[in-house]
Amino acid sequence: MARNRTYNKRNILIIIIVIFLTAIGLTGRLIYLIIFKSEEYSARAQALHERERPIKAERGRIFDINGVEIATNKPVCTISVIHSQITESERVIELLSKELGLSEEFVRKRVEKLSSIERIKSNVNKDIADRIRQYKLDGVMVDEDYKRYYPFDSLASKVIGFTGSDNQGVIGLEVKYESFLKGINGTILTLTTAYGVEIENAAEGRIEPQPGNDLYLSLDVNIQKYAEQAAYKAMEAKQANNVKLIVMDPNDGRIFAMVNAPEFDLNNPYTLINDIAESYVGETISSEKMNELLNGMWRNACISDTYEPGSAFKVVTTTAALEENVVKLDDRFFCPGFRRVEDRIIRCHKAGGHGSQNFVEGIQNSCNPIFMEIGSRVGVEKTYEYYKKLGLFNKTGVDIPGEANSIMHNIENIGAVELATMSFGQSFQITPLQLLTATSAIINGGTLVTPHFGISVKTPDNRVVKTFEYKTVENAISKETSETMKQLLESVVSDGTGRRAYLPGYRVGGKTATSEKLPRRTGKYISSFIGFAPADDPQVIALVLIDEPVGIYYGGTIAAPVIASLFDNILPYMGIEANYSEEDLKNYQVGQFQVPNFIGKTRKEMKDLLKIYEFGDVYISGEGDTVTEQFPLPGDSVNRKSGLVLYY
Amino acid sequence: MARTAGETNRKKLHSYYDYSLLFLILFLVCFGLVMIYSTSSYNAQRIHGDATYYLSRQALLGGLGIIIMLFVSKIDYRLYIKKLPIIKIKPVTILYFLCIFLQVYVILFGEEIKGAKRWIQIGELSFQPSELSKIAVILVTAYIVNLAPRRLDKIWGFLRVALFISPLLGLIIAENFSTGLIIGIIFVAICFVASKKKAYFIISGLVMGALASLMIFFVDFRSDRWAAWRNVETHEKGYQILQGLYAIASGGIFGKGLGESMQKLGFIPESHNDMIFSVICEELGLFGAISLILLFILLIWRIFVIAINAPDLFGGLIATGVLVHIASQVLINIAVVTSTIPSTGIPLPFISYGGSSLMVILFEMGIVLSVSNQIKVRGS
Repeated sequence: MARNRTYNKRNILIIIIVIFLTAIGLTGRLIYLIIFKSEEYSARAQALHERERPIKAERGRIFDINGVEIATNKPVCTISVIHSQITESERVIELLSKELGLSEEFVRKRVEKLSSIERIKSNVNKDIADRIRQYKLDGVMVDEDYKRYYPFDSLASKVIGFTGSDNQGVIGLEVKYESFLKGINGTILTLTTAYGVEIENAAEGRIEPQPGNDLYLSLDVNIQKYAEQAAYKAMEAKQANNVKLIVMDPNDGRIFAMVNAPEFDLNNPYTLINDIAESYVGETISSEKMNELLNGMWRNACISDTYEPGSAFKVVTTTAALEENVVKLDDRFFCPGFRRVEDRIIRCHKAGGHGSQNFVEGIQNSCNPIFMEIGSRVGVEKTYEYYKKLGLFNKTGVDIPGEANSIMHNIENIGAVELATMSFGQSFQITPLQLLTATSAIINGGTLVTPHFGISVKTPDNRVVKTFEYKTVENAISKETSETMKQLLESVVSDGTGRRAYLPGYRVGGKTATSEKLPRRTGKYISSFIGFAPADDPQVIALVLIDEPVGIYYGGTIAAPVIASLFDNILPYMGIEANYSEEDLKNYQVGQFQVPNFIGKTRKEMKDLLKIYEFGDVYISGEGDTVTEQFPLPGDSVNRKSGLVLYY
Repeated sequence: MARTAGETNRKKLHSYYDYSLLFLILFLVCFGLVMIYSTSSYNAQRIHGDATYYLSRQALLGGLGIIIMLFVSKIDYRLYIKKLPIIKIKPVTILYFLCIFLQVYVILFGEEIKGAKRWIQIGELSFQPSELSKIAVILVTAYIVNLAPRRLDKIWGFLRVALFISPLLGLIIAENFSTGLIIGIIFVAICFVASKKKAYFIISGLVMGALASLMIFFVDFRSDRWAAWRNVETHEKGYQILQGLYAIASGGIFGKGLGESMQKLGFIPESHNDMIFSVICEELGLFGAISLILLFILLIWRIFVIAINAPDLFGGLIATGVLVHIASQVLINIAVVTSTIPSTGIPLPFISYGGSSLMVILFEMGIVLSVSNQIKVRGS
């Protein structure tokens, strides 16, 4: 065995020195990394470990004019799975497909997908989500969230609009006021492992979400309800395609109601309503077709569709003629039932003609030849000037997306025939809202207003963020003309074609219209009526359009009563008192009287007394000779023709 | 300090046993288990559903390794180069041929794990024959050198020894470059200690360097590692190293505390293996890392003391071999983790997860303890 010599030992020492030097070098490297690279690398490591998870901000609510909530949020949940945490995948698949009503393949595909997190279903009701949470399945995440909820379902659906799955407005006011409603999402900063799994109790920071601001509207749920009731009633009675009804304050453009019957359910905006769906029973609807149908269902026809306004437009023609002083109310005209314009004969709606009549009677009769005459007196250029002043060349500027503009003749192309047809509302198209806005200007003293819904935006704690202001143009027409127009239109209702809109106790003005749809002679009409009240000081103006009524289609016959019944409901609601004239009391047997004391009167006395007092049915019971009890009680105010109960 | 047995025999002599080394070994093994639990529990839970999956395996093999070590330490190391009775073959020769057989076997039939054939599967356990080859190379080189140490003074003597070793070394390099590198270093170091003249070492060092660069540039897999090292922050294969650097840097001076590492949560793949040092830095900080390096230095120092006091050259050489083995693995591992050199898979002795590696190291420690046990000191 060789000896371990000194040089061997020296060699080992050399090796040891090399090793120690290397170790010192590496320690230096380590110190360099920890001291000098620490900041940079640990920041990067931090960025790698941190995950931002958004917290959805609650969307602002929408309130009507009285502060009734018409769009709000409901807590819902999102169910997702984290692949790497799932321990019992079969059970997860089974329970999730059962609870969420999804097909097993659908859930399986997502559960078995190799991704850090996979969403199974969003907008799950909270009670279902709570049930899923109770199963305590590993790897199944239940996140709380908000879903837009509309307490009145279909009320004013096409006005309010709805939001998509991303909580963004899709149509209507939800789109228009998106920036105010949406709020700012918050974030939770958490630490996660490389597999995206959050580490418990390691939340580093939280930025609270800022809820969206609340929107306050001019829309009145009650008026909207009355209006929808009236519109649906007319639609059903006349088997119409649809009924549009707008109720507005003519003085400032606040819209109280806008009905597009049939409405759809805002809480199920992607489900076709029965009116549409019933035409496709048993058919499979392609996704393109479905899109088309849905877009049609969501369409706010009051502002997006144009039509020929027909006789209602005579209001504008008259205004222009009065402003231009080309007609006086007592000017006399003769209607032979037609008017010859160049080589054409244009008929009046009354076959035999209205004969001799003054202008007031002409407008009451809605006589076409008279308006052709005064239209030609005003002339093309002046006519267009008034159209312009009344806002008929521009969109109204209503705060709902998708507004259409009018379709007018190019001024160079207007001959006598075109001018004549335009004077009674044919050969051009405007939106219902444009007609309503123009008429408002005519009756409110000449101010062209911007129709609108949005009034103000407030924070959730009721601090006003913004009050909306809308453009108004004063003196579009003179005050005098406006006064005259109110009287004329009141006479249309009291004595003319609009008499079915007459409402006892109220002064209602208005104009009927019956527009034949294009192409002509297909028997398709739009019956409409524009009305306002009180006629001397208009507080509310309403326009109703009944699209393709079956049977009688005259606006005066079928559209005017819709406005009458609407006004009957909403005028008292709006605090406009009924004021019955003598004639009203007589003709409509309305009015109240105090019930006298009949107790102690004999049967014979009663017979005479009942001749004086206007009771309806009188019920008598008992065997005595004098009245012992009566109902209503003495001193009560009752309507005429109400019943009376007497006990002898 | 103990003096070698040959100097005097006048007084009564008794065997020396390096208990400080034994204590260091036990401490390192236990520390290793703690760190393996810390680094592997998350992944063990995630993959195997049992947080102690890796810990229990390592602890079992560590315990077994310690028993083997204590047993080996009581066997006189000189027995390895004495002919066995009956079969008349030296154990070292058997070991040498066994290793060659296993290396050939693993290349032909080995278990392929992560694209490399390095394991032989025996039932539940997988075993890396290249680890065993480390012992073989230490013993065989020391044995051959010991036969005629003066020949090492000339390059031909060195080449003659190299000729004996080259079949095994070649097989290892073909299969696993980094283990080959370690074994090469061990072999050269043993020869270096034996030789009196050093000129040819410089020459052979240059040749080795040239060969290594050829390996780096011409084998795709390794040149990729080179590129990854140059651009550790951008290269896709630098991911593991970069994550290790993040861990080291975010530890700071005193670390985040035991068990608090973030990077072990899947960011560093297999953080209980070769990259364990980076997690030690993250959890225990610069302080902990330097303490660990000092522990290794202390361990190496103890082996050094045994090597220079070995009763004969063979004992000194095998102690040197073990010393170089431990030191080179520690240094290369730390160099890789700190991105000082291109990445190569070398486990950190005692600490990294890996049964065969731990068993072999403990076996080697047994041999070193056995050398220490042959040192005779005078009773006081």
